[in-house]
Amino acid sequence: METAYALAAQQRRDPMVRLFAAGARAMVPWLAGIVPFGLVIGVSAARADIPAAAGWLTGPAIYAGSAQIATIEMLDDGAAPAVIVATALIINLRLVLYSGAIAAYWRGTPRWWRITAAYLLVDPSFVVGMDGYQRHDQRDLGHRYYLGGAVVLWLAWLAAIGVGVTLGAQLPSALRLELIVPLYMVGQVVGRLGDRATRRAAMTAAVVAVIALAAPLHLGILLAIIMGLGAALKVKEGSQ
Amino acid sequence: MTAWIVISLAGLGSYLFRISMVLLAERITLPDKVERASAFMAPAAFAALAATGIAASTAGSDITQAVPLLAAVAVAVIAVRHTGRPYLAVVAGMPTLWLLTVAVGA
Repeated sequence: METAYALAAQQRRDPMVRLFAAGARAMVPWLAGIVPFGLVIGVSAARADIPAAAGWLTGPAIYAGSAQIATIEMLDDGAAPAVIVATALIINLRLVLYSGAIAAYWRGTPRWWRITAAYLLVDPSFVVGMDGYQRHDQRDLGHRYYLGGAVVLWLAWLAAIGVGVTLGAQLPSALRLELIVPLYMVGQVVGRLGDRATRRAAMTAAVVAVIALAAPLHLGILLAIIMGLGAALKVKEGSQ
Repeated sequence: MTAWIVISLAGLGSYLFRISMVLLAERITLPDKVERASAFMAPAAFAALAATGIAASTAGSDITQAVPLLAAVAVAVIAVRHTGRPYLAVVAGMPTLWLLTVAVGA
């Protein structure tokens, strides 16, 4: 009886482990571009006029590269604390949109899950996670996929910043590994251009992002996403 | 002390952003428009982030760096369009970037 129960439990567990590993694997292409970014943040934290441990703390505390860089640079420049916090939060405003998009998949889950999973929510984990939820009809499988990618990202990110802070390592800049992430996202976008509304969303967001490149406080990305969504809805409503 | 407080506050605020809609979605229903828009969130976000990354890299570089990058993006788009496999954007794009960087710089 016990053997049968263990076997059934094992069979239930296996897809979960498999999905966790699949999510982790899906995160790997991101790591090649993100780890050098983490090293850069670590090095900049080590060189800034702040305690090295505080620089590393931006990783687990803020957990979003652009906002971390802005915080470290502005602390180094001696900017007013309120301005630094406001800048970091404006850069991270897009997280509200990610939160809204992924909330539908987390509805009805235990509170501890949402508290933990939300902490891990950032651009790469959002991308990998949404992909997982769209591929799997069963929410449980999607959760494991999200968690696999998000945990791997979190560990790699904190390790990379730690190495950068500790060693002040030189980046292999000739390889331009930072461009792996934009290319990876190009692949994700091109692979999803199935219908007219989606194409309009992507095209509008890309054009607005380029036009708003010099927008202050990294507001360009947020603006581009909102405009892209608006354009897609307009197409959708026009076709109904 | 200021650095620790600033980083903690920025971290707390960022976490509240992350969990805001996840918790509120239980108590409030998002407008239909927002629900419908969420289907386009991923392509819009990917496109904005990709365009920003590529444009920022080309804007700050000379022609020997910009041309290989733009060619790599073009090759990535063609590879994915022809095969339907998103990962080929990186597999085809990065070697194109490296080869053209060497060729243009030579």
